[in-house]
Amino acid sequence: MSAYPPPPDVIDGAVAWIFGDDFDIDLVVGVANIKSYDPDHLRSVCMAAYDPGFVDRVRPGDIIVGGRNFGYGHPHYPPMVALRNLGISAVVAESFSPGFWRGETFNGMPLITVPGISDAVAVGDDVRLDWRRAEVSKQDGTTITGHPPNARTVAVIEAGGSYELLLSEHRSKQPLTEGSAR
Amino acid sequence: MSFDALTMVEKILGRTCDADVVHAGENHAVRPARMIAYDFPGYTDVMFRQMREDFGITELDDPSRYVVFIDHMLTKKNAKEQEVHQVTRDWCEFYGIELHEGRGIGHQLTAELGLATPGDFLVHFDGHISGIGAFGALGWGIRRDLIEAWVTGQLYVDIPATTRFDLVGEFGAGVDSRDLVHTIIDLVGADGCAHQVMEFGGPGARSMKIDHRQGLCGMAMFTGAVSAIFEPDELSLAYAHDVARQAFTPVLPDEGAAYAARHTIDLSTIVPQVVQPGSARAANTHTAADLAGIPITKAFIGSCASGRIEDLRAAALVLDGRTVAPGVELNVVPTSQKVHDQAESEGLLDILRSAGAHIAVSSCDFCFGYQKPLAAGENCISTGVLNISGRMGSSDANIYMGSPFTVAASALAGTIAQVGS
Repeated sequence: MSAYPPPPDVIDGAVAWIFGDDFDIDLVVGVANIKSYDPDHLRSVCMAAYDPGFVDRVRPGDIIVGGRNFGYGHPHYPPMVALRNLGISAVVAESFSPGFWRGETFNGMPLITVPGISDAVAVGDDVRLDWRRAEVSKQDGTTITGHPPNARTVAVIEAGGSYELLLSEHRSKQPLTEGSAR
Repeated sequence: MSFDALTMVEKILGRTCDADVVHAGENHAVRPARMIAYDFPGYTDVMFRQMREDFGITELDDPSRYVVFIDHMLTKKNAKEQEVHQVTRDWCEFYGIELHEGRGIGHQLTAELGLATPGDFLVHFDGHISGIGAFGALGWGIRRDLIEAWVTGQLYVDIPATTRFDLVGEFGAGVDSRDLVHTIIDLVGADGCAHQVMEFGGPGARSMKIDHRQGLCGMAMFTGAVSAIFEPDELSLAYAHDVARQAFTPVLPDEGAAYAARHTIDLSTIVPQVVQPGSARAANTHTAADLAGIPITKAFIGSCASGRIEDLRAAALVLDGRTVAPGVELNVVPTSQKVHDQAESEGLLDILRSAGAHIAVSSCDFCFGYQKPLAAGENCISTGVLNISGRMGSSDANIYMGSPFTVAASALAGTIAQVGS
């Protein structure tokens, strides 16, 4: 089901944007567009309210940085679809809102908690993210480390999302024939 | 504090997994007693199809752990609704899953039908299942992870830490749990209990009506909490004994349990709160007195957080013998058919009708903007659970949230007002 492959062990890219505290992810596309899954439409509205040049400058491997409680509100899925379609490969934040964290972890997005990150980097900085270690390294050699994801979450991200992991676990336990839920 | 002393959530989740004892911060696979959904396009139809086609599951080991409610999309009575619901009916018949249709909001029926008894652990894709914390049960909204529970019978979770709320005193006149939850958000912030469970106890907790406990727990997510839970007491145990389908074992927190934070709140100090449009964050939370005078055209009493018998009694108390202001439409949606029938027999609905209120069939449809959506420019005061832009109709309408007392008083005044003003 996941439309995105698992991330590489180390994600190299630039800080595409830094959001503040309690950021409502729906604002990435605007409230009027939170039910759209049309890739062209999502591209046309993604981050338009923040930076009209965003969609053209983002490269695969770029990351979003967030403040405290990133994903607060009533998060819908299309905003992250819009960002992932552009190549955004991870979100590194001071902390995550639980509903957003659960929904997007399911989708296989690395959501890495790194207290202090919003002051440690600037938009445009080239960074290297070792997501398993929650370690962000800058080109000046400095490194900031947060809270590494637990083993289950690592497995989810490595599989490209919970659904892919569940399918592979299910297949490894029984042949894909008629069966019963355990 | 002792490592051996446990919170309620540690005890409840510890009983559902292989580890004998679990502690906050550990990751465990836990087995919910019930795995609940309401039918909604893109959710249940997709999950059923995945379970059958991708996982090849044709039979459930224990169908009694699965429950589905049809409580959304009931009021347009069109072919699209029938199509959506028929898909759900067919799947529930295929798997032998308990299905309840048109009897009210599932989060309330879960309680009424004895599906959430003290000490139980339940999951739903929707976070407002936390309302069953009123009964000393743990309800956790797990979004898309419901498919993990449905196909494996378990799911991996981080055992939540707990913030303890010791409640003392009692609510004053015209104040209820809606005012309390917004006071708590103002106190701890929109992420004050992030990834945690809120645990309520003390004489103030025991003074609260069951309906108010449900309303409070159902809003837990707005502090960042994944759920909320009350210590069981005589009131909630009596309710549970009346409806329980099987024996249950309540849990209480241990003396010396480790809490992430602890707050004492005196309920007698709580005053009516109104939340400004956008979100329930602290910055939007004000006293009703501060926002008094803002004109409204719509008022709504209902939802899984409010709309129970105590809420309708509150509205009737305020509206008895009076009439809503010209230009204001007051819609009242009892949370379940049972609540509706009780309110009818108590004469509450007659009082509300006489005051000019429209009584609608029990469903979720008002709260998410499906039934009588708000028009651009309208101001609504609501007991719904969410006031984000576009939630109840036009994204250019404004949704203020308050208690049933405050909504009723505002409907009378035609502006935001609190009882007695």
